[in-house]
Amino acid sequence: MGDTDAFAKLEMELRRGVVVLATLSQLRKPRYGYELRQALADRDMPIEEGTLYPLLRRLEGQGLLHSEWQTESGSPRRYYALTGDGRRLLKKLTESWQGMNAAMVRLLRED
Amino acid sequence: MDANDVIEGYVSEVALQLPRRQRNDVALELTALLREGLEDRAEAAGRDADATMAVEFLNSFGRPEDVAARYRQALTVIDPADGPRFVRLTWIGLVIIWGLGLLEVLGQPGVSGADTILLIGRFWFGTVLPSLWWPGLLVAYFATSAWVGRRWPPAADWKPRAKDRLDGGRAALLLGMAGVALGCVVLSNPTVVLDVVWQGRAAPAAYTALTYDPGFLQRQAPWLFALVLSNLPLMAFALVKGRRPAGLRRLETGLSLLTCAMMLWVVFDGPVLATPAGDETAKFLMLAIVVVVLLGLAVSRYREVRPAATRTAVAGPNASGHSASERPR
Repeated sequence: MGDTDAFAKLEMELRRGVVVLATLSQLRKPRYGYELRQALADRDMPIEEGTLYPLLRRLEGQGLLHSEWQTESGSPRRYYALTGDGRRLLKKLTESWQGMNAAMVRLLRED
Repeated sequence: MDANDVIEGYVSEVALQLPRRQRNDVALELTALLREGLEDRAEAAGRDADATMAVEFLNSFGRPEDVAARYRQALTVIDPADGPRFVRLTWIGLVIIWGLGLLEVLGQPGVSGADTILLIGRFWFGTVLPSLWWPGLLVAYFATSAWVGRRWPPAADWKPRAKDRLDGGRAALLLGMAGVALGCVVLSNPTVVLDVVWQGRAAPAAYTALTYDPGFLQRQAPWLFALVLSNLPLMAFALVKGRRPAGLRRLETGLSLLTCAMMLWVVFDGPVLATPAGDETAKFLMLAIVVVVLLGLAVSRYREVRPAATRTAVAGPNASGHSASERPR
């Protein structure tokens, strides 16, 4: 029981660390919240809606995303996409992630 | 109530906790997203969405308070690093305040042990509720400290501090020596205070009040005077060295304990001053000094860090049954 709890907590910490990078990676083209969630889930990175939707607003507030309402497909939807700053940050975070990932692969290979 | 009503109610609860300028925009977006999510869930279940399904779906989404909190930037009132210190200081302060309050309540005249409800009422309204100023003050202090730390992060790096340093430097030590010397003068003749402050024009009753009892002068006064005076050479040694070596610190601790023991003897032996009122005040002050000194020593002892390497070595696989000091080198 204790092990399961510890695993769940630590796995959540790991997930939290990559949520922003995963989200930014899927906003190179405009997407609305539900579509983005589906795109992430289809790529084996499910993120709770209650976490994802507020995150989009916070990233927009930091100038990393811009958004606009579209009503062409019926119900109004707010589409988000990377700004210039968002693209630059995504590039830097990707490099950083790849470096960390390579290091972790090496570490985990060691006995 | 249908599924749409449930979603609208939920969204309203979230939106109400957001800044006004963001409220309507988030509400519109969240409503659309939740409806779409619920439609997908209903499709997967092969039936129409109803209120029950909507409630289940929204419960998995999170409580409105939690969701609203995620829309806002995290607000740190007390820095997480200060959390344990805040809790410790809060409890220490409350225990002291409640302890003093309890003593005061129990010491009130005309209250017997049978008046339990009355005692609890007095303690609750007279001590416990007013004591909340203390945690409030601490919150204000730590919140200000956290804000200052974020606004102006400390520029200087950590610097090592010697264990035997002089707190406050030589200037503070000199001031302390002057204080001890002054204390010795007052102790030798308390009426000197009246001469200095009122230039000898104080009422005769004041002189009487500050006159020592002959028994005290004969028994404890010389020893107490000698103990207080013996602080001066120790302080002078630290002043010359510019530090307080371990041996000196041990001597100071011993001297403090001895002085406390002497003061307790004085308090419980007999009168110190000739008049009852003066005597009571002098003994109260002495007891207060003893409590403060002993508490200070206890806190220093409690806060002392002794690395556990010795214990680990003894308990480790190479343990030979010797203590650290006995172990052969």
